[in-house]
Amino acid sequence: MRYRKTARQDTGRTMSRRKFLGVTAGATAALSFGTFIRSGLGAARINVLTWSNTLNAMDDTLRAQAKQYTQEKGVEVVFEFVNQTDLPTKTAAAVESGSGDIVTTWSDGAHLHDKALINVGDIAEPLGKQLNGWTNIAKDICIVNKVWKAVPWGIIPIAVVYRTDWAKEAGYDKFPDTYDEMLVLCRKMKEKGHNSGFALGRAIGDANQSHYPMLWAHGGAECTADGKKVAINSPGTAKAVDYVRRLFKEGQSEDVFSWDDSSNNRAFLAGELACTGNAASIYWAEQKNAPQLREVTNHALWPKGPAGRFGYSTSMGLGIYRFSKFQKECKEFLTWLMQPKQYSAWIGVGEGQIAGLANFYENDPVWKKDAKLEVIREIPKYVRMPGYPGAPTRHAAESMVKYVIVNMFARACKGMSTPDTIKQAEAELKDIYAKA
Amino acid sequence: METVTLADAQPIRRQPWYRPFLKSEALTGYFLISPAVFLMLVLLAYPFVLAVWISLTDRVLGEPGKFVWFSNFYKLIQDPIFRNTVWNSFVYTFATVFLKMLLGVILALLLNQEIPYRNLIRGAILLPWIVPTSLSVLTWLWMFDSLFSVVNYILLGIGLISKKIQWLGSPSWAMVSVIIVNTWRGLPFFAVSFLAGLMTIPRELYEAAEVDGAKRFRQFWHITVPLLQPVIAVVVLFSTIWTFADFQIVYILTHGGPLNATQIFATLAYDVALVAGRIGEGSAISLFLFPALLVVIILMLKYLRRE
Repeated sequence: MRYRKTARQDTGRTMSRRKFLGVTAGATAALSFGTFIRSGLGAARINVLTWSNTLNAMDDTLRAQAKQYTQEKGVEVVFEFVNQTDLPTKTAAAVESGSGDIVTTWSDGAHLHDKALINVGDIAEPLGKQLNGWTNIAKDICIVNKVWKAVPWGIIPIAVVYRTDWAKEAGYDKFPDTYDEMLVLCRKMKEKGHNSGFALGRAIGDANQSHYPMLWAHGGAECTADGKKVAINSPGTAKAVDYVRRLFKEGQSEDVFSWDDSSNNRAFLAGELACTGNAASIYWAEQKNAPQLREVTNHALWPKGPAGRFGYSTSMGLGIYRFSKFQKECKEFLTWLMQPKQYSAWIGVGEGQIAGLANFYENDPVWKKDAKLEVIREIPKYVRMPGYPGAPTRHAAESMVKYVIVNMFARACKGMSTPDTIKQAEAELKDIYAKA
Repeated sequence: METVTLADAQPIRRQPWYRPFLKSEALTGYFLISPAVFLMLVLLAYPFVLAVWISLTDRVLGEPGKFVWFSNFYKLIQDPIFRNTVWNSFVYTFATVFLKMLLGVILALLLNQEIPYRNLIRGAILLPWIVPTSLSVLTWLWMFDSLFSVVNYILLGIGLISKKIQWLGSPSWAMVSVIIVNTWRGLPFFAVSFLAGLMTIPRELYEAAEVDGAKRFRQFWHITVPLLQPVIAVVVLFSTIWTFADFQIVYILTHGGPLNATQIFATLAYDVALVAGRIGEGSAISLFLFPALLVVIILMLKYLRRE
């Protein structure tokens, strides 16, 4: 092409639009090719999707361990931390798009996504033998139709958190061991102006985790043991509803209907709450924000009811996606991560935030650090999932996210009769359980 | 010395290969809009058709699912929680759109007056619309807190109430709370759009009316309202669609509670599709209103064309 001299070309240095586009396209192609080569042909790289802990030190420990593993074994491991509430969305996106390697199965996660996960029995069973056996809850959440779909990882233990000074004032040196006695304690504390509070609002954690145990401990259950039929309409459920109504009227305030998961933490830290259900997070927050309250705060197991002692805490496993290209490497990494050296270091910085799902970790040194946290080590033994006595199925998950059980109790506290509120819950549950 | 003129400074080129295609005007037109059409198809049409398809299957996360015709929709109609959700969505949408329209007109009229610092105030009015919704709603969450609500503190302080209001804890107050926040958030859009409409109404009309002896209210009724009508129609149309699809405000403030009192389409669809993993049913929930909204949109657009 022939050009005559133009004014523009005289300036020399400017880049023409065409050249700019060409250079940009070239650079993009080169960069993406580089990434492609790295991901396709390079060494194994494992992505672990998990939740970001409120306690940063725990995540830092995992990051450091991943780095150490990479150095020792030459397999790159990257932890991807997302907000706990974003975990379902992120997992859904990963499953639908078929990308990722290891995923944290959050409570019922292994049951919800079992088709996307591989059998990890070949590492879960030897690990169980090595660590003195798995707890019931470990098997409940990780075994789907008799196949291990995740390696049990840990639980965020939910305990009763209470004020020792106000309990003492009401005549209790230690927290009562039965629900009936707990009612008396909460009533006495309220008479002195100190409310207790168990969330009855949209607190996906606290509201469910406080009220499912009360249902089970009084002999109620949402379905039969095979998980197929709705069984909420029972004398046990009626007992539980009556109990929760009394506990609300005699020991709590209207506030609980609007509570989200952080409300009870704030109220406790403000010195406005006598007793609630929570993780150890209130206790550490006090260290920084309310040291004077830390002296008078303690933890207790959920009390016993006529049908026994129960708890419900978020329990986690680690599953491997069937579409992961590095399944063998993932299994080796998980086995390494669960070894006492790594695992104890991780829960050690947590101070009660996480408890192990293997019996071995009931005697972990972390429980000797602080007498007020010691009781937490026993919690995994009593934990069950929504859907109990059946498995934590998709139906149970749906009734939980729709707050069917919590709302059944909330309606009773708002004045509905016991048979009516149970009937409404039964109708809602039948609707859910009728689905495939 | 050689003189270089502008005309000379053009490169001499052969005709490019695509030249003949550009000869026909119609072809050129299609050629030029093709990138836009392509983007529309990929970014809008594909996800929409996919959502319709998924809503007709019993798909759960990670599994392909079977085609089940309208069974998801049929089941939804029988579900008491869903029926409650439909009712809530209508209450939420109509209450907020009505309030925003009413307050928007009043605000626009005020802003159209000669007031000091008019431009500054007009800018400041937009703030709720500019601040990211999730952030501003978190502030509202604190203002409605059961223990530390500053709103209750003030109302108690000036003696308007004697007992604190459970803003997010009682079913009816929770609905009131989400309506207040949505109105607060959407009002600037209404006010500014109406203001733009007001500014296009010629002054002479008001002057003529005044000469004829019309008072302020009659001027408003016979001049402002008819001339503002097209703007109101468009703004109401958009707002209705946005509010029906709203998610953030309700999700952050009440998460649909208490007792499902503020459960709306988007929050229920999120819980069912993403948390419980039933994406077929979740899609059906979010598409449920599509036919109704489509009718509203067609009617509104027809009305606008006539105008």
